[in-house]
Amino acid sequence: MPTGDTFFDGFLDDYFAESEEHLTAAADALMRLDKSIGNASAERAAVDDLFRYFHTLKAISAMVELRPAEQLAHHLEHYLRAVREGECTLTTAGSDALIEGTRRLEHIINAHRAGSPLPSIEDVLARVENLVGTRGERPTKTSAPEDATETGRRWTCRFVPTRELLAGGIGVDLVRKRLGEIGTIVEAAPHVLPDATISFQFTLITADGVDVVERLSGIPVAVEAETPSGVEPEAAAVEPAATAGAPNAAISHVVRVDLARLDHLMQIVGDMVISRARLADSLSRVERHVPASEWRAVQENALASDRQLRMLREGIMRVRMVPVGEIFRRMPLVVRDLARENGKRVKLELRGQATEIDKYLIERMMDPVLHLVRNAVSHGIEPPDVRIAHGKTPEGTITLSAAAVGDMVTLEVADDGYGVNEEAVVNKARQAGLIVPPGPLDAAAVLGLLCSPGFSTKEETDRASGRGVGMAVVKAMVEGLSGTMALDTEPGHGTRFIIRLPVTLAITDALIGRVGEEAFAIPQGSVREVIEIAEADVRQLEENEIVPYRDGALPLVRLSRLFGIASTARTGRLHVFVLGHGSASMGIAVDRIVGQREIVVRTLADALVRVDGVSGATDLGDGRVVLILDPAVLARLTNQRARRVIPDAAAWGRLPA
Amino acid sequence: MSDSGTDTFILLSVMGTTYALRSDQVQHMEMVEQVTRVPNAAPFVDGVVFSRGQVVPAVNLRARFGFERVPYDVRTRLVVVNSKGRQVGLIVDDGREFLRLPATAIAPPQESLAGLSSQYVEGIASLNGRLILVLNLENLLEFSAPLVAA
Amino acid sequence: MHKILIVDDSPTIRKMVRASLQTIESAEFIEASTGLEAIEQLAVARVQLIVLDLNMPDMHGIDVLRFVRRNAHYRSLPIIVLTTRGDETSRQTAKNAGATTYLTKPFAPQTLAQAVRDLLDSAVEATPRA
Repeated sequence: MPTGDTFFDGFLDDYFAESEEHLTAAADALMRLDKSIGNASAERAAVDDLFRYFHTLKAISAMVELRPAEQLAHHLEHYLRAVREGECTLTTAGSDALIEGTRRLEHIINAHRAGSPLPSIEDVLARVENLVGTRGERPTKTSAPEDATETGRRWTCRFVPTRELLAGGIGVDLVRKRLGEIGTIVEAAPHVLPDATISFQFTLITADGVDVVERLSGIPVAVEAETPSGVEPEAAAVEPAATAGAPNAAISHVVRVDLARLDHLMQIVGDMVISRARLADSLSRVERHVPASEWRAVQENALASDRQLRMLREGIMRVRMVPVGEIFRRMPLVVRDLARENGKRVKLELRGQATEIDKYLIERMMDPVLHLVRNAVSHGIEPPDVRIAHGKTPEGTITLSAAAVGDMVTLEVADDGYGVNEEAVVNKARQAGLIVPPGPLDAAAVLGLLCSPGFSTKEETDRASGRGVGMAVVKAMVEGLSGTMALDTEPGHGTRFIIRLPVTLAITDALIGRVGEEAFAIPQGSVREVIEIAEADVRQLEENEIVPYRDGALPLVRLSRLFGIASTARTGRLHVFVLGHGSASMGIAVDRIVGQREIVVRTLADALVRVDGVSGATDLGDGRVVLILDPAVLARLTNQRARRVIPDAAAWGRLPA
Repeated sequence: MSDSGTDTFILLSVMGTTYALRSDQVQHMEMVEQVTRVPNAAPFVDGVVFSRGQVVPAVNLRARFGFERVPYDVRTRLVVVNSKGRQVGLIVDDGREFLRLPATAIAPPQESLAGLSSQYVEGIASLNGRLILVLNLENLLEFSAPLVAA
Repeated sequence: MHKILIVDDSPTIRKMVRASLQTIESAEFIEASTGLEAIEQLAVARVQLIVLDLNMPDMHGIDVLRFVRRNAHYRSLPIIVLTTRGDETSRQTAKNAGATTYLTKPFAPQTLAQAVRDLLDSAVEATPRA
């Protein structure tokens, strides 16, 4: 049959690229399918996705005339359709066949690419056909398409597309994506209005308390909330009674909030800050056109808006805070059980339970703190007779405390037991094959050994904490949250593990600069000034570079040289961030200044990416990671070299041109 | 996940050799998009990637195994793995296949196998004449240990 | 100029359709990857012909077809539906839903081009409302 044989050959590259994507996504979906056994909705989602991928693979394989691929994909799609429609259940044999089918599909496409003979598909086809033939019993708990978990609110959202909106990037696809982020879209359909314009109507289900209008800010969508539907009156009545305890109990002043909603609020506030910055930008440009009397009012309003925004941001951050007592709650039971198991007598004291930290941090610190407490019971506290022999009370004490100091929260797990024996740690470390620094060790070094992976065997950590969370993992978790850990111990008297964490996730203002293709962020607080200098003004002083600055000189660090990146600066001009004060000043040169942004700081905690001069990473919203510079470290790196530079301003005049 | 001693593995391919990771160690797999270089990081670290809302280090397995790096192509994959609380991305030539292996099919690596470092291979399986090396993820991600066999 | 709307969720196929229709000098192309986007384009641009894939993630091509035909304004808009080989039922459904012509993938570029030319020659313009 005459087809586009040679014509569509030019699209083989596109075909290979697109099929790669679908095959990769199919593999991911197969993995999800495997993990979703028992979870009906996850399984259904994976099946739906797989169906789509095979269908598309079938279509594009047909277009490039790769018949075996088309056929195989067709059969796999056919099987999945049967599963979706409840004609057969997905069995292990079924998922095995899908896996083998996907693999064979990949082989075929690869063979086609390499020009080798194509593998046959008969066996896989037979396997899949068999599966569809077997009518498994109708799954009794057929998850109806929308699992009738319609608790929450129903909204009707209408969007009318226009040419202008599309030109500005706002189209039905964007609307659908946004709505999908806010809730679950149960229906999406086009309608024709009386005046013949076309509008799109979405039916959205969200959790209670979600304000769809607010979350769609910036997008012209008409939103209507439907009155809460179908909750049986009985159910509604039971709830409050259960929580209140007494029929006439006062209504609680506490609201349960979903963390995801708070995250979203934070995002909006972040966006507001950026819009505010842009507004400030625009205002400064129009200032000269505005009469002074009018301008004052504008300024005042701008400042007021700034202030309110700051308060709003701080307020939301505070909402995320939860008393640390949440972690402490389960400890008494853990201690009691473990003490009994180990034949020890232990008293647990809790302090500072009301100290508040970010909910996100609480969730992550749960396991590490638990591990430290269990360790204290198992290895920290001596058995009663040993304690008595040492003149201690037979009952040991473990103190769990939390305190907030400025920006940081300190969590401490202390015991009055053995204390950490340096010699024992060193011996164990050597036995485990770890490298031990020579000489007497300070507490930090001992902690370092304790936290080295491989220090404890898996069996030991399992026994101690029951979950395989070793000290190494505790350290990793703490550092991953931008925190620090310290050890304070006195052999014979006791041990204290001190964890310090920042109170909230760090969100900070930063200036962004570009070097070549790469972008870097510097915390705004460290930048004193931003200047532009001429290349010609740069002087060489031994192995350093300096530039005239105010009445003196500024040591210059070219980021391009420090990080080995090819600079694409316009010749002759350098843009410099001036950091520090007085003799500790330095300038960091980049190719271009991009602007100011508010960024969410993410630590680069993993040892693989911990480098001098880089304190973390962030993303500017386009999916690309931008590294955050650490001015203190950069200063140290440069100062080490620049120590001998610039005695004083007067010397400047005597330097060779 | 595993029934009667069978585990599910994700297969990766580097320089023509097939490696396997237990599926419970694999978070997800995706195409490689933007990798931001981290200057002065270890030579086998390509940089960091933004994956599903997290900043994740990206280790180039070719480089980690001592081979020459090649530019990414359509087949290159980012396999995000979980090991002891660390989330790390592995950049591999190909990573997509899916396999179920009974524990009995995996043998410990022999000392005499040349060119292999028993540090990062914890088992070897042979399936239909195909050699599959089961990776020891913890050791693979351990920064300081050089991996090329002496 | 004839504005032709190409609707398919596969970027490769959209490219192929475009390429197949290169020989039509008067053709200008708009692309959409979902059913909703296709309708959106219809609303804001003057489209003279649609090449429509059936299986799309959000709104099935048949539903797009039916919606378009319900609107008196677009009733005679030429629409070529692309079905996949082996999907016999969709062919018939497409016809009933109002497809002007249907082609099965894989199609020969000349076949598609000829079908488009034939339809454009007897085309009726559709005016947008937005």
